[in-house]
Amino acid sequence: MQRVWIVVLSVWAMLAIVAVLAWSYRPPAPLPASAAQTVVVKGTNGKQQLVTVSAPAHATTATSAVARP
Amino acid sequence: MSLLEQVEWRAVGTTCSAAVTTGSGEEQRARVALSAAQAEVAACEGELSRFDPASDLSRLNASAGEWVSVGPRLLETLRLAVAAREDTAGRFDPTVLPALVAAGYDRSFELLEERPATRADGWRAGSAIELDEARGRARLEPGTAVDLGGIGKGYAARRALDAMLAAAPDLAGGLVDLGGDIAVRGETPDGGPWRIAVADPRRPGETLAVLALAAGGVATSGRDARRFGPSGSLHHLIDPETGEPAFAGPLTVTVAASDAAEAEAHATTLAIASLEEARAHLAARPALSALYVPHAGPPIPLGNPPLARERLVVIAS
Repeated sequence: MQRVWIVVLSVWAMLAIVAVLAWSYRPPAPLPASAAQTVVVKGTNGKQQLVTVSAPAHATTATSAVARP
Repeated sequence: MSLLEQVEWRAVGTTCSAAVTTGSGEEQRARVALSAAQAEVAACEGELSRFDPASDLSRLNASAGEWVSVGPRLLETLRLAVAAREDTAGRFDPTVLPALVAAGYDRSFELLEERPATRADGWRAGSAIELDEARGRARLEPGTAVDLGGIGKGYAARRALDAMLAAAPDLAGGLVDLGGDIAVRGETPDGGPWRIAVADPRRPGETLAVLALAAGGVATSGRDARRFGPSGSLHHLIDPETGEPAFAGPLTVTVAASDAAEAEAHATTLAIASLEEARAHLAARPALSALYVPHAGPPIPLGNPPLARERLVVIAS
C-alpha cells in the first residue's frame, strides 16, 4: 500500500513541476527590427561617413497600409 | 528623465500614432496634446477625404465648374497641391482622380471589389484649380475631380503636430505618424534626432534603413501596397502623362523634407520616376533627400550631401 501512495505522490509531484514550468515559461521576445544595429551613410562635403547606431526607431515609414481592423 | 507618451488610433484609412516627449508630472499635458492631434486629424479628414460624401473635397468634386465654400484645411492643401504640380512640371497632379477611379480605385481601399480596369474617357492632366483664399472658396474646371491622396496625409500630419505642440507648448517635442507619413519637431526623450525606420518593402517586418530628423517630415510611396484589380495587378500610382497606373518607377521611395506635405508630394512624384529622373529631381531640389528602393538591388540614397547633417540616411547593416 505504501508503494502505491509513493507512486501516486510522485506522479502528482511530476505533474505539479510540469505545470509550474509551463505556467512560468515565456517565449523569448524577438528583438524589434528597428533596434538592430545600423550603419549611417552620412554625406558631408561630398564624403561618406559610416556611423554605428543601435537606438530603436521612434516610428516607421512605409507605403501607407490599410488600417488594421 | 524624459519619456515618450504615445497614442495609436485608426483614421484617414490607415493606422495613426502620435507621441510627445514629456518630463515627470507632465502626463496630463501630454494627454491634452495627444487629444489635440487626434482632433486635428479628424478635422483634416472631414475636409480632405474623397471617401466621405459630406467632406469639403467631395462637395467640391461634385460641383466642378462652380465656386464652392471650403474649409481652411482644404484650401491650404489645394494651394500646396497646385504648387507641387507646378514645381514638378505636372508629374505630381491632384486631378488624376478620374483616371484613378477608372483604374478601379473607386472607394475606400478596404471596400474595393475586383473589376477590370478601364481608361477615363476624355481625361487630361493639368486641369485648372482656382482658389479664392480671401473668400474661402475654390472652383474646379468642369469635368475635373481632385484626389489629395498624394499630399493630404502629410499635410494632416504636420497640422496635427502643430496642434499637438500648440496645445501643450511646454512639451519638448513630438511626432505624428499617419500610416507612414510622418511629421516631427523638437526634442526626443534622449535628446537626439527623431529616428524614423524605413520598412523594407521586400521583407515584411524588417527595417531597411533609419532616417534621423531634427525637424520636418518623411513620407514613403510605392507600389508594394494598396494594389487592386485582377490578382492585384494594378496600383494606385497614376502617371499623369498616360492616365494609367505608372509603369516606370521604384518599388518604393522615401523622401525627407522640411515639411511632411512636401515630403509626401515629392514621394508621390518620385514613385513614378526612373532612377535617372529621380537623381535629376533631387539634384534640382537641395532641401530634399530620398531613399530610392528599386525592384531589385540595394536601396539608393539620393540628395544633397551638406543637408544630410539634418537628415542622415542610415543603411541597415
